[in-house]
Formats: sequence, C-alpha cells, structure tokens
Amino acid sequence: MSTALHGGVLVIAVAAREARVVAALGRRALSVQFRRAQLLMPTFVLPLLLLAVIASGTSAGRNLKDFPDVSSYLGFVVAGTLLQGALLAGLTAGIALASDIEGGFFDRLLAAPVRRSSLVFGRLAGTLGLAVLQMTWFLLVALLFGASYPGGVLGAAGAAVLAALTAVGIGGLACAIAIRTGSMNLMQSIFPLVFVLLFTAPAFFPRDLLTPTLHDLSAYNPLTYVVEGARGLLQDDAGLGDPWLGLAAAVGLAIFSTALATLALRDRARRT
Amino acid sequence: MARTSTSSHPAVAVRGLERAFKGGIKAVDGLDLEVREGEIYGFLGPNGAGKTTTVRMLVTLLRPTAGQALVAGHDVVTEADAVRRNIGVALQEAAIDPLMTGRELLRMQGALHGMRGGEARRRSEDLLERVGLTDAGDRRVGQYSGGMRRRLDLAMALVHRPKVLFLDEPTTGLDPTSRNALWREVRGLNADGTTVFLTTQYLEEAEQLADRVGIIAGGSLVAEGTPGELKARVGEPTLNVHLAEGADVPAAREALAAVGPLVENQDGGCVAIRAARGQATVPVAVRVLDDAGIAVESLEVVSPTLDDVFAAVTGSTLEGAAQSRDPDASAEAVA
Repeated sequence: MSTALHGGVLVIAVAAREARVVAALGRRALSVQFRRAQLLMPTFVLPLLLLAVIASGTSAGRNLKDFPDVSSYLGFVVAGTLLQGALLAGLTAGIALASDIEGGFFDRLLAAPVRRSSLVFGRLAGTLGLAVLQMTWFLLVALLFGASYPGGVLGAAGAAVLAALTAVGIGGLACAIAIRTGSMNLMQSIFPLVFVLLFTAPAFFPRDLLTPTLHDLSAYNPLTYVVEGARGLLQDDAGLGDPWLGLAAAVGLAIFSTALATLALRDRARRT
Repeated sequence: MARTSTSSHPAVAVRGLERAFKGGIKAVDGLDLEVREGEIYGFLGPNGAGKTTTVRMLVTLLRPTAGQALVAGHDVVTEADAVRRNIGVALQEAAIDPLMTGRELLRMQGALHGMRGGEARRRSEDLLERVGLTDAGDRRVGQYSGGMRRRLDLAMALVHRPKVLFLDEPTTGLDPTSRNALWREVRGLNADGTTVFLTTQYLEEAEQLADRVGIIAGGSLVAEGTPGELKARVGEPTLNVHLAEGADVPAAREALAAVGPLVENQDGGCVAIRAARGQATVPVAVRVLDDAGIAVESLEVVSPTLDDVFAAVTGSTLEGAAQSRDPDASAEAVA
C-alpha cells in the first residue's frame, strides 16, 4: 500500500515538474515571438491583408445561387482567416525550432534533465498561446469592419479554439520537419505550402462552389472540417459545418502531429 | 588546488570511447581518461582533435559508437537523465537566445531543472550577482558583449549546482580582461567543490587552471598528467646566461659547467646549462660567475611549456598557442 502511495506521489511530482518545464518553454516561445518582427508580420498582419482582399474583391460571390444565406460576408470569410492564421502560427513554430537547432540553443534544452516530449509540448504550448491571441485579434478586427457573429461570444470562442488547436496540429508537423532537418532555410521554403493547404480547403468559399476537382480534394483535407466547423459556430448554422467534426479533425491532427514530432525528436536523439 | 575526493567513484570515467561518423571517420578513437572528483581537468588539443565530440558524448548530446563513459557515476547512454541532473554545460560559442534577457534565461534554466518559480527567481538573482550581470539582467542577450554572454552561459550552467561542470573552450574569442574574469570564476567554482572538465586549445588556459591536463590528438589521448609532470617528461629547465659584451666565453663555460651540464648550440654571447633545480640554480650560477670575474648581462630560467610537451607527443605545435600565450608567461625571467 505504502509502495503504491509512494509511486503515486512520485508520478504526480514528475508530472508537476514536467508541467513547469512545458510552461517555461511555452512562455519563452510566446514572448520571443513578439520580439521577432519578421514573425509578427505573417502571423498577425498577412491574414488580415488577405481577408481585406477577399472581402472586398469577392463579396459579389455572395449573390451566387448556391451561396448560403449568411448575416455578413465578412463574418463568413473570417473563418478562412482563422485557418490561415493557424497555419502560419504552426509554421512559425517550426521555423523558431529550426532556428534554435541551428543556433545551438536546442542543445542546451537537450542537455537538461527533462522528457524529450516536454520539449515538443513546450514549443506547442507557445503556439497555442500565440494562436489564441491571433484568433481574438482577427475576430475583433473583422467585427470592427462589420462582420457579424450570430453564434455570439460562445460561437466566436469555439471557432477560436478550433483554429488554435489546428495551429497546434500544424505546429507539430512543422516541428517534426524542423527536428528531422534542423534547417531554417527549408522551413522558410515550405511557406507556400500554407496556401496550398488553405486553398484545398473551402477557406473562403462554400465547398459546393468549388470546382469538382477541388471539391473532391477538399474532402481529404482535415482543414476543411475545421474551417466549416468554425463557420458553423460563428454563424450559428450547423448547415455551414459541423463543429464536432471540426473539433475531431483539429484534435486528431494535433495528437497525430505532436506524436510525430516527439518520435522525430527521439529518433534524432538515437541518430546523434 | 584540487579538493580532496570524498566519493568512491571518479567524476568522469571513460573507457575505450569511440565516435565514428558517416564514412567511418572516427572523431574519437579509443579514448581512456579519468577525472577525479574536485579537480579541474584540462582537455587540450587543436581544432579537430576530438575535444568537442568527446564533450558532446559526455554531456549526453551525442551517442558513443563504442566504449563506455560514466559521469558522476552514471552511464551517459543508459542513465542519460541522471547524468543530465548532475552536470552543468557551457558549450562552445555560448548558444544563447539573443532575444531573451539574462534574467529570463536563468529562470527558464531553473525551471528546466525542476525549480519552482520562487526558487528559480532567487537562484537567478544570486547567479546574476555572482557573475556581475545584475544590472544587465533585464537587457536582451543580443546586446551583451562576448564576455558577458560567456559569463551568463556559465551562470546558466550553474543554476542547479552541478557536481561536474563541462566548459567547452570557454574563453575562445574573449579579450584578456574577460578571460581573466572567467578564469577567476572557474577557480572559485572549483574551490567551492565543483569538478571542472575544461576543453581548450590555449596552453596558457590549461596551465593556469588545470590540476591535470589530458592532451588529445587524432581522437586519442596522447599524454596526461599535471602540467609540471608533463613538462618534466620533456626535459629539465635551462638556465640561459647572456654574457656582457667582451666577456670571456670559454671561462664562463668552464665556470658554469661546475653548476650544471652545459647545453650546446648556444649563440656566441650566451652560455646555457641544465637547471634541474630551476630558480635555485640562479644564485649558484651568479656566485661562480662573480668569483670568476665574468660580467653578465642577464640570466633566465626557461622551463619547457605545454607547447613543447604537445610537440613532443604529437610531432606538431598546438594551433593557436602563439596568440594565446603571454610572452612573459613561458619563461621565468630573472635578470
């Protein structure tokens, strides 16, 4: 009995210790993000620029026969902005990690007595924090420019959570690539992939208005279900997307990619 | 200089350590060494000798391809986490995030070693004060000088009071003032009981700091001992007597031959003898020369240097030795 109790206390102590590590690394990842102007531009400004272009340039699409009846076009397309923000937040996690590896800072972390998975979780905790700030920012800016969210505060918060979880998922994939390659240049060169993922999901248009090929392709893109789920929450219209399906896609991607990054780190430790 | 050992195991024990890279190139090839608890061990070698590869294996950042290494009594492969808990590491080039402040980095390092917020904060303040960075603690590291970065790097390695401290070329690129400050700090840490494994390509650094020195070349240890022992293996000190102009050289040679064996091949105005007793030879030589009425311009006792040791064991001189050595440090001049 006392052995079991001792074991339990030990497990809690280890978990608490690792939680402190994750929190410290997450804080660092987030605070450094705001000190790098070159990372703030793509994460906080670029998605809003694209939103402005989409909202002003394609708003006539709302008059198409199959376009759903929504309270505001901006409120419809902002879900795509959340998704874009999530993709960019995730990618910057990989870029920052590759920078740590190239600069030698990652060795300092590896030489510390912490679980390898905590190093990945810490980085992704920072991504989660960044994404929450991003999504709040995007939703508020869109609101100021006339977007309406019939789903209310809860719907907006739900959409932000979906997008933030997606950022963690993309961040996990980016970290896995960064750990495998250790190359910041390579991480920066996969930037265009963000737009491939974005436009093979119905980010700014309903899925039914996509070309048949894109329509079929989007069914295989998990981000499709995230953006539709977020749209459903924002517009309080389950017909636009199933939030639970979106949540399943976001959580599934986050778990898969985090496991991938952790395995990549363990493999790196074995190889080196 | 070294503390008395109280532990049953050495701080570092390495047997047949190897590390091969792609293509079969062995950066470290059958390395054996032992570092006693409480000593400063200088690991000396030129660039590419295998110093950094060895350190990376000892601090668990690189897996050996053969052999075994124990640090603080724990195997670097099978007990890596226990090794990490017992070591402090300051690697080459002080890889520190330039966007963070010194204070933030120290607190983060504390968290990495399991400290709670309050404890990490207190320890950070203590260390900032110790390395003289309290006022610069809230500045981003990118604004620090090279010496400040090194001191912060050292402080980060000390957050958890490690038993064994690994310093990989800690003064490379530092100006003399910063280098001396770091040396003082390393001596102080050692006096407090920390075992220090110091890699360097600077002879003076090894001479100044190390209780024992291991010389690595081509991935293997080619010599090991205290600086005095190593130099003694190369040869005895020499007393060089520079005679005044017009002095009787044959008479001087005859007089000095009574003090010690003559060393041949000296310049015309200089007579040299072996000085097994070092500085103690000087007054004897002065007396016999005075008795013989021979005028002297200067005398100097020249001891073998670690560079001489390095040349003797490897057949080449140590890269970087010339620029690191103070001109007045290699010879104990007496005029």
